[in-house]
Amino acid sequence: MTQTLYERYGGFATVSRLIMAFYDNILDSDKLADYFEEVDMRRLIDHQTKFISSLMGGPASYSNEVLRNVHKSLNVDHESFDEIVLILRQTLAEFKIEADDIETVVDAIEERRFVIVSEEKTAT
Amino acid sequence: MTEPAKRSPVIAPLDLEHFNQILLNNVGVAIALFDLNTMQILFNNVKFHELFKDHAANATIDQILGLPEMPEKVQLGEIWSQEIEIKIKRRSSSLAVQISRHALAGQDVGVVECHNISKIKELEYMLESYSKMVEKNARELRREKERAERLLLNVMPKTVVEELKEFGVTTPQRYDEASVLMLDFVGFTEMSISHDPTAIVSELNDIFTAFDRIVEQFGCERIKTIGDAYMAVSGIPDPTVDHLQNIAHTALLFRRYIERRNRTSAVKWECRIGIATGPVIGSIIGVQKYVYDIFGPGVNLASRMESVSGPMQITMPASVNERIAQDFQTKPAGEHEIRGFGKLELYHLIRSIDKQGHYIL
Repeated sequence: MTQTLYERYGGFATVSRLIMAFYDNILDSDKLADYFEEVDMRRLIDHQTKFISSLMGGPASYSNEVLRNVHKSLNVDHESFDEIVLILRQTLAEFKIEADDIETVVDAIEERRFVIVSEEKTAT
Repeated sequence: MTEPAKRSPVIAPLDLEHFNQILLNNVGVAIALFDLNTMQILFNNVKFHELFKDHAANATIDQILGLPEMPEKVQLGEIWSQEIEIKIKRRSSSLAVQISRHALAGQDVGVVECHNISKIKELEYMLESYSKMVEKNARELRREKERAERLLLNVMPKTVVEELKEFGVTTPQRYDEASVLMLDFVGFTEMSISHDPTAIVSELNDIFTAFDRIVEQFGCERIKTIGDAYMAVSGIPDPTVDHLQNIAHTALLFRRYIERRNRTSAVKWECRIGIATGPVIGSIIGVQKYVYDIFGPGVNLASRMESVSGPMQITMPASVNERIAQDFQTKPAGEHEIRGFGKLELYHLIRSIDKQGHYIL
């Protein structure tokens, strides 16, 4: 069996550090910080760690249904989504994730774009 | 001779105040000094400013920390500590705050130290949730393992499953003496063609399930079924002195079950049973698709006994009859030529006798 990205890059230890750095970068972004105004960052970081882990072939899994529900009230637009993906790319690169593997993770997130982005907002 | 000058430490006149400034701004802790009466900040280091941004310059210390009752709580010579949550520029942080009280040049001065423990808190939270997830996965794995084990227990004896679990392989076991029962049904092939296959399988399933319970009741093991044939053994894998009695009782109950069933069932079943005793080898056969099976003279003889049985008869050799005659009523069935065993005196098992000499089955 081939190793998953999750295993190859050091599992939970790496992903958790990566996600903490990711949110540090997000909170520095004026465009994005508003989304996180009222959010319990601990829970968010925890969920995001599991989510990214699952995209990398690690434990845990999130159905699109769950993702849609948690993003429903946030009115995420495409621009913010793009910004988040950009920051994730940068953070993954900071953590020396290889270019091919960054694409794998980003592709997996792009697949879920329409689950996360609220379409009403983008129409306006 | 005096020591060379270069060896003695040369103490340059040190600007202590400057040194303290450097020190205060380079430790990894946010530090501020404040007047305990006015709550005005007298001094704060760079880290403190990084943490509280412009608040550090514009607000009093109790406002910054959100601790209005603080001064009363801080005693001279004591360190007062608390964890607080602050939110500066949309960024929440957890801080471990320590305040101590000092008399400094006639002034009542408080020293605040703030450690940013947000990362630790985040990690703590994550660790807890992660370990819950791991525990949940472990529970599921355990359940899955138990399920697999139950499946294995259906097809092989418990001790063999345990051996397989512990060592990954099993060694064939030789049992010097075990008793074997072989059963099949008269005219099953014809029955299976003349009846609806679903109905016949369901009937057979019903009967074998009942047999399994009887087998268990007498501490025997079901080895396998092949089509309409059923094979059980006593004395494997745990040797027992009563193996013959157990297998004889099992045979009688099998027959009685069929008799009673036939009274109410549309399909009439007739079984042939052979029982025998002898050396037997028990082993797992196969690698990917493995089954537990038994071989040896005991098995062969039981099979021959079954094939010479008439409908609803239980047949055994004289060697078995001798050893169970006390507990069972039997009837001579004459001498037969048995392939691989030569001429054998055979008996039919009729019923069992209890300690008071009454017939029971």
